[in-house]
Amino acid sequence: MIGRELIVRLKEAFGAAIQRADLPSDQRLFVFVEPSALKAICHHIFRACDARYVVTIGADDRPYSGQFLVAHNFAFDRDHLLCSVLAYLPADYPQVESISDVVPAANWGEREMRDLLGIEPVGHRYLKRLVLPDGWPEGVHPLRKDLPWNHVPAGFDSSREFNFDDPPDGCTVVPFGPFHPTLDEPAHFRLYVEGEFVRGCEYRGFMVHRGIEKLAESVMGYDDIPLLAERICGICGCVHNVAYAQAVEAAAGVSPPPRAEYIRTIMLELERLHSHLLWVGLGCHVLGFDTLFMHSFRIREPVMRLAEKISGNRKTYSLCVIGGARCDIEPELQLEMRSVLDKLEAEWKQVVAAVSGDKNIQRRTRGVGVATRALVKDTGALGPVARASGMDIDCRRDHPYAAYGRLSFDVITEKDGDVWARLLVRAKEVFQSVRIIRQCLEKIEPGPLKVPIPDELPVGRMGLSSVEAPRGESHHFVMTGENNRPRRWRVRAPTYQNLQAVPSMIKDQRIADMTITLASIDPCFSCTDRLETIDVRSGALRTWTQEELLQAVRVGRRHGGQP
Amino acid sequence: MTVNVLAGLLNVVMVLVAAPFLQGVQRKLTARIQARQGPPLRQPYYDLLKLLGKEDIEVAETPAMQRFAALLALAVVLAIAFLVPMGSAAPGASLGDAILLIYLLTLMGICTLLAGLAAGSTYSLIGISREMMAMVTLEPLFAVAVLVAALHVGSLHLDLVLNGGSYAAAGIPWSGLLMLCLMLLAFQAFVQRIPFDISEAETELMEGPLMEYSGPKLALFKYAQMAKLVVFSALFIGLFVPWAGTSNPVLAWLLFWVKALVLVVLVTAVAALHVRYRIDQAIRYFAVMDVASLGVLLLAAYGY
Repeated sequence: MIGRELIVRLKEAFGAAIQRADLPSDQRLFVFVEPSALKAICHHIFRACDARYVVTIGADDRPYSGQFLVAHNFAFDRDHLLCSVLAYLPADYPQVESISDVVPAANWGEREMRDLLGIEPVGHRYLKRLVLPDGWPEGVHPLRKDLPWNHVPAGFDSSREFNFDDPPDGCTVVPFGPFHPTLDEPAHFRLYVEGEFVRGCEYRGFMVHRGIEKLAESVMGYDDIPLLAERICGICGCVHNVAYAQAVEAAAGVSPPPRAEYIRTIMLELERLHSHLLWVGLGCHVLGFDTLFMHSFRIREPVMRLAEKISGNRKTYSLCVIGGARCDIEPELQLEMRSVLDKLEAEWKQVVAAVSGDKNIQRRTRGVGVATRALVKDTGALGPVARASGMDIDCRRDHPYAAYGRLSFDVITEKDGDVWARLLVRAKEVFQSVRIIRQCLEKIEPGPLKVPIPDELPVGRMGLSSVEAPRGESHHFVMTGENNRPRRWRVRAPTYQNLQAVPSMIKDQRIADMTITLASIDPCFSCTDRLETIDVRSGALRTWTQEELLQAVRVGRRHGGQP
Repeated sequence: MTVNVLAGLLNVVMVLVAAPFLQGVQRKLTARIQARQGPPLRQPYYDLLKLLGKEDIEVAETPAMQRFAALLALAVVLAIAFLVPMGSAAPGASLGDAILLIYLLTLMGICTLLAGLAAGSTYSLIGISREMMAMVTLEPLFAVAVLVAALHVGSLHLDLVLNGGSYAAAGIPWSGLLMLCLMLLAFQAFVQRIPFDISEAETELMEGPLMEYSGPKLALFKYAQMAKLVVFSALFIGLFVPWAGTSNPVLAWLLFWVKALVLVVLVTAVAALHVRYRIDQAIRYFAVMDVASLGVLLLAAYGY
């Protein structure tokens, strides 16, 4: 079903509720609808058309249109279409019917919208705060445009503790986190435990918010934001970097030159290589198998050194500018890359052979942390988690970007949906990444690294970009704006959806399986916690005026150092 | 027979001296298997000295019990060292018999329980509940091993039991050989190394019962754990590989420590190549061992 058919189908079903439909390309569709029909339309798209839920976006559009904007994004993976269903809400009455009872995956997206923009999802069944801490005063919504990025609301109580739900009868509470050896970053799971079995859990996260979206929307410029975007995550930073650049390029109608697309592809795959090797290592560490942990890191190290030779950094490559790439891959580096890949492939084959034959690992991972297809559909789980449950989705093939459309590779799927299946998917994807990079090296052609962009980018356009991160689809939404920066930039990292599946995956499992189940989604909390505007850690806040800050940023940029 | 105090003290001192070294061997060997450089062999001595020199912080719910548990743990291990033969005849043979030995072994597990109870945190409680489950299913195995040897030699005397008592049957000592296999399969569990370090499982329980320990008290517990490996090796050697092949006491003594070293290397290699078992999987494993060991006991009772 391509975009046009979908528009016809929606118009037949909902008539005048469909106000407008934009089809900027065959792969992107924006449907503007009546707020009152939003839920029914989303239900139709999610169930009857069997689309995949991607993200919910709220935006404060009052300075421009005098209204709030809410959007639910869906993906038609088989038909290569990303579709955004948008509705404008009146400024004095920002309420919209919640879709979370028909699209359960929208649970977090709607709560985040309520916290940060004050758009009320009416009928949401679990309206607890998600992003904002419980000590944050009511009625202050950081992403609204009338709130400066560095605003500290009166009455913020930083010492206020979380307001937890009551555990079910007969269960004791085992706190898992915020600090625990298997959590790389702070997050809190309150496990309800009966004997050795977990009966349920409550998640509180979003503890290390950095206000990244707000910062981008209020003080940074288009070409600064890729650098900020890749700092969303320490592992899949390049993914956010590319996804942001592509979203802006899609909105502004800029297309990067082929050489830049190949280089982006190579760097993304190098990132996947090191991320998957890191995951297999950490997964084994969680199971107490430190030998493979160490060997995974040994095999991974040459990839890091290669990235350093290309970009100057082992991680955080600063790869993209709008319309191209910053670093080139010289012929001698291409030679070295081939030899690194050959060695890695040979060593990884040995590891995979050893792991596949290891009965002990299978005993700890088979049938553990199972995510059924239905759960994946309902929670919008992504990446290796979805593929291990038999969902054949991969943005590289379904929504081709960069050079992926010109390359051939296999999407690895497994059927069982348990930790073992996820391990196999990741282990096998390593070989596909090697294959992709080799093809890129064959096909890469000389040419410019970026296209010149002489004019200012058009204002008020929307762009969507999905990039397959090692953990699943990273989705970026950009609405272009004035002052050389986007009006709204929404990032949805894969862990945001995958984490929502964890409570169901650990239910009725043993405590001992909790850690490997959580680790098996390869959680990335910093990706998930990218919003919010207060530095909880230092407590003491230096208050900057916007002028001071702009001044500081300009000075810093001129001298290339710290402001 | 009198108590050979000198030989007993030699055992105790040797355990205290050699345990950190053998720990160093484990760490070095593990590192080499994992393609790492690894710390120098003397690193565990430094670690213990550093911990002993730190401030003694009392954080647990019942600090007195926490301290007592750490002291008791080391004391029990050293007491066993005083009793069992380590390259010479059992020095403390007239102090107690095999039954005392079984009690002392159980007391080692009790120390971990006390430590966990004293900490009073959720994770240490989970840790000790696992420890208890493991203890209940695992301890009978060692008791049976000692009993089999005692049946063969017809005495509970440590000197006889721990001098290859397992093979003292007439004809081929089937029960002794079978028991040797069972104990080899379970040895990793007695010394609480992967795949059976379930009660401490760093990545699940954050060291479980030990999580509230720091400074000198942690040093004592760590010391006790290192010494435990030596003591269990001594018991294993005493029961199953006692032959010195020489009448020279120095050579016999040296030979004992070589055997201990071989056991430590074996334990390390197995630990480096395995995934940690889940408590239910471990218990099932122990249960099979227990049932098999009862069969062996029956064989031994009929003189095979």
